Amino acid sequence: MFSSSFWHFLTLQIFKERHKHLTTLLLSILLLFLLSSMLFIASSLRYVVMETLEGEPDFVITRIQGGDPASTPLEWMDPLFDIYGITQITPRVYGRYFVTPKEESFLIVGVDPLEEQSQKALKELLEGIDIKHFSQGDTMLVGQGVARYLKAHYYYDGYKFLTPTGEFISLKIASLLPVEGNLLSNDMVIMPLEVAQKILGYASNEVRDIGFNVPNPDERANIMDKVASLHYDLRIVSKTEMAQRYRDLYSYKEGIFLLLFIMLLVTFLLTLYQRYSMVYSSEKRQIGLLRAMGWSIADLLRLKFMETVVVVMFAFILGVILAYWFVFVWDAPLLRQIFLGSENLPNFVSFPPVVEFSTLGSIFLLYVLPSLAAVMIPVWRVAITDAKEAML
Amino acid sequence: MIEIEQLHKVYGERVILSDITLHIGCGEMVILQGISGSGKTTLLSLIAGLEKPSSGAILIDGEPIHKLPDRFASELRAAKIGMVFQHFNLMEHLSVAQNVMVPLIPYEPQIDRVQERVSSAMERANIVHRKDQLASRLSGGEKQRTAIARALVANPDILLCDEPTANLDHANALKFIEMMESLHQEGKTIVIATHDPRFNQLKVRHRTIPMVEGKLLHG
Repeated sequence: MFSSSFWHFLTLQIFKERHKHLTTLLLSILLLFLLSSMLFIASSLRYVVMETLEGEPDFVITRIQGGDPASTPLEWMDPLFDIYGITQITPRVYGRYFVTPKEESFLIVGVDPLEEQSQKALKELLEGIDIKHFSQGDTMLVGQGVARYLKAHYYYDGYKFLTPTGEFISLKIASLLPVEGNLLSNDMVIMPLEVAQKILGYASNEVRDIGFNVPNPDERANIMDKVASLHYDLRIVSKTEMAQRYRDLYSYKEGIFLLLFIMLLVTFLLTLYQRYSMVYSSEKRQIGLLRAMGWSIADLLRLKFMETVVVVMFAFILGVILAYWFVFVWDAPLLRQIFLGSENLPNFVSFPPVVEFSTLGSIFLLYVLPSLAAVMIPVWRVAITDAKEAML
Repeated sequence: MIEIEQLHKVYGERVILSDITLHIGCGEMVILQGISGSGKTTLLSLIAGLEKPSSGAILIDGEPIHKLPDRFASELRAAKIGMVFQHFNLMEHLSVAQNVMVPLIPYEPQIDRVQERVSSAMERANIVHRKDQLASRLSGGEKQRTAIARALVANPDILLCDEPTANLDHANALKFIEMMESLHQEGKTIVIATHDPRFNQLKVRHRTIPMVEGKLLHG
């Protein structure tokens, strides 16, 4: 189909007309870079969130007061033990601790380090940390953002937390949470459950919520109904719902970005289409000339198709590689704000490198195919009508 | 052999060619003479199969080029017809050799074979010494010789030339005429559309056919 002479001529055409292709190439690289970066960030965030949710319990129950979550009595755990099919019932304490007088806040998470579910949820974060020492009660693990904040305010070894009763609780920094988990742990402070209860103002028989697992998926709907009927002010949320909420959040941001991208892409493709259809009479003349030299319409289309494929594929590969480097090596400066929003504490996020074939496929479908069509349709229209252009 | 029978060409309501009947034998040289707008270029374009006639027939060695599907018409054009244009119509971004190879690309798969034929055509057109020069940097005469090399590279039987000396100085115009005489002596069928009176003094046997308002005055 493509002889050595055809390839020779094709490379000649591309190389010799490189100035003509350069604008298309640069614009293509820029658009593909933006699109790929956005899709890479979204995939990476989705991956992180889903990985985190993996360690979460299948269901979480909370007490609702006035439509808002309120502290949940620990005694709500008791009837759960009686329902067959429920395992790993875990009380959870967490909440925002606002550092007065500024707006910065820490996310306090109380854990029972010896409890299986907590260990599972914090597996990544607690890796390499001396749990025994941590569980003694006067120490805490802090995220990188918290550590920077404390240092900036001359708290080098620990911090004194003020409880709602006016009491100070002093905790020493046992260790920093690993930088790889910054996306979630930047503003996190992990401490023993009882200490967290005091700092966040929970009574000793109250927690934020209670998590539990239902290993048999067929039983989940049934058990959910049973648990929901235990208390009139109980709210139950499944892991599937939580996952969906996160997916929706990132899909929403991805959607807005995609909309902007499509507007840019359409403008670019219209320019490309116009260039090949009307504005560039030299293009028409070249097509007419090749026809006069004995080239058939199929030969012409093959040449123009391959010219475009080479330029677009080159842009595709380069745009994707640049985006990979920008997102996963440089951690997407500027662009990450679109997805992460304004940070509570300054963050240095690392996106785990996640490249899905479906993402690459989406980029291909969104860019390569429309670009080929934008060139080939006008070329085909000229090729079938204007062979006499060569005579002018 | 080119046979044109009762050819008409109309653009909208404007009649460009009317009732053209013309037979051009193998190895014959025909000069179509007429002022601009007399229909010479359109007639050449129809003979080459670049346009379809409104009515009538054009046969190249018995093949009705106007009726053939694009692929076969293109093959016929590539194999049997070489064209030389008034404005040379070279691809300015390519070198002389690269321009000359253009007609062979779809039909000669081996690049080595293409390069051999290109060298031979450039030698015939006396432009081989400028083979690596970009077309945009050639003089008018050199561009014309490149265009001739390109027209000859597939060794066609028929050469169609549209106002070939219109953009040449006197010396180069005479060289071109000499080259056409030489090709005619080699047995090529040559049709030249021109209003250049220098073609009246051709040293070889030829037929001059005046064209006026889309009609041949005698054929």
